[in-house]
Amino acid sequence: MLEQMAKPQEQRVQQSVDEHVIRACQQGDREAFRQLFEVYKDRVFSIAAYSLGDETAAADVTQQIFLKLMTRINQFRGDSEFTTWLYRLVVNSCHDERRKQRRFFPLIESGAMPGTDKRHSQEKRYARREVAGSIREAIGHLKPKMRQPILLKYIEGLSYEEIAGVLGCSKGTVASRLNRAHKVLAKRLGHLRQNFLSE
Amino acid sequence: MFRTHVNNQFSAYCHEELSAGETRKVAEHLIGCTRCRKEFEEVKLGIKLAEQLPLVSAPDSLWQEVEMLLDQDGHPVNERRSWSGISFLIQPRFAIPAFAVLMGVAFIIALSLRDRSEGTRLTGASWDVSRLDGAPQIGSISVNDKGKLGIGQWLETDANSRAQIEVGNIGQVEIDPGTRVRLVETKPTEHRLELARGRLSARISAPPRLFFVDTPSAVAEDLGCAYTLEVNDQGDSLLRVTLGWVSLHLRDRESVVPAGAACATRPGLGPGTPYFEDSSEMFRKALTKLDFEPNDPSWSRTPTLDLVLNEARPRDTFTLWHLLSRVNGSDRARVYGRMAALVPPPEGVTRDGVLRLDQNMLNLWREKIDSECDSVNSVPAVVRDVLGRTRSGIHRRL
Repeated sequence: MLEQMAKPQEQRVQQSVDEHVIRACQQGDREAFRQLFEVYKDRVFSIAAYSLGDETAAADVTQQIFLKLMTRINQFRGDSEFTTWLYRLVVNSCHDERRKQRRFFPLIESGAMPGTDKRHSQEKRYARREVAGSIREAIGHLKPKMRQPILLKYIEGLSYEEIAGVLGCSKGTVASRLNRAHKVLAKRLGHLRQNFLSE
Repeated sequence: MFRTHVNNQFSAYCHEELSAGETRKVAEHLIGCTRCRKEFEEVKLGIKLAEQLPLVSAPDSLWQEVEMLLDQDGHPVNERRSWSGISFLIQPRFAIPAFAVLMGVAFIIALSLRDRSEGTRLTGASWDVSRLDGAPQIGSISVNDKGKLGIGQWLETDANSRAQIEVGNIGQVEIDPGTRVRLVETKPTEHRLELARGRLSARISAPPRLFFVDTPSAVAEDLGCAYTLEVNDQGDSLLRVTLGWVSLHLRDRESVVPAGAACATRPGLGPGTPYFEDSSEMFRKALTKLDFEPNDPSWSRTPTLDLVLNEARPRDTFTLWHLLSRVNGSDRARVYGRMAALVPPPEGVTRDGVLRLDQNMLNLWREKIDSECDSVNSVPAVVRDVLGRTRSGIHRRL
């Protein structure tokens, strides 16, 4: 499966179509639902994959999430952000699935990074893949309470307030969990420090 | 006095989730608290790592599976209805007005694209720009009192223009006449400008290593400070620090410059040896020759170094300390001799150790110089950290 680096800001631009798409989805428009699926599938799948540590289980959960989304979209009244509503569904579904699994499967290395950037030499691409793999592994080892805000922040690009809305906790709790998660990542991946020094 | 640590707010600080007052409180605390600064560096690294988190693409077959299940479950779907709701536009009575509207929109988009400067890369992030004098321009558009500088865009002032940039929530940069700057990057862990020519004055209230200015001959890195930086048409630059400390570096060469001092840079060579601006003119001229004209046949190195050594005051041992690692053999021994005469090395620092550039000994001596000379009378811990990693001011290992 292909991977790409998360670009929350660009993803946010995509969300501008949601309001029209959601309205059309509520009217039963299959094409609109396809549109919605295309916008969110990778992010929903990423969150599921990192949360469950297993891409097969993540695919099943993603499928279930979109089915639930389609059947429940009429319940969305626009009182909250659509993303808050959607990611609450994602977080809860992953939580349920984890309870079923009762054990953790490490996320399996799943093929090469996309070779879209021709300017990068093979060596740089390899180094980048190594870094991405290490980060992915470290995220997989975070406690769920720390991992969830990390995924919502960096995969989806949500604000602290939005993350708090999804997780049903305070903004301060989000800040505190992210702080702890960042420190754990730095501690586990301290050997990558030189890759991030300013030139 | 009791001081509340701010270590639980670092992520929110980096993600700009704090109020202006809270942001200022964290920044001020960080400048003075070694413990929090160390922890802040860890959180910053954690953020940089998390920013690289790869997105995992969903399997291609997923949509077919979802659609199949939708059909099986008999979910109400209406495939004929278009979500965009624009199908009515193809009816004859709407076609002509709709076409006119579309053409109008296309024309406006074309105009806005034309106004963008060539080669710029715009993203969502931007800095506020205020016009101070004349008609500064962002790309090809004049700034009328207020403007936005996006990533990749150039801000240019002519001989009569000045402008001020708000650097996120960490400070301001004043752009003098005849200056060309570009916003390279702005994110919680790094704010970076490129100064192609002209002069800017920066005042930054933030933890070290958040604000950078790239010039053709070095990178200026803020260590909590105020300074001016100017670049001429040849790409030479001159840094003058008015408050705090600034690090100048190019590849493995680095100079750490305190308030009251200046440092020149040259393309390809990087930063020269920093010096106090109240040092003698002869001292500064000789230093420039040593730094940037090593192959000039019209002068001899030995008398020039003698001139620097003879003109040095106790305060200038700061400059000589940087020089130690930039000269070799007998020249280094002469620099040592003069330094020892001006500020004797502390206990545990030997001549042999200094001549072989023992980092611990150099640091010990540097601390004594800083404490004895009013040159650098209050070195914040953050700068000591940087100096500790700056091998005699020449090797950069941050």
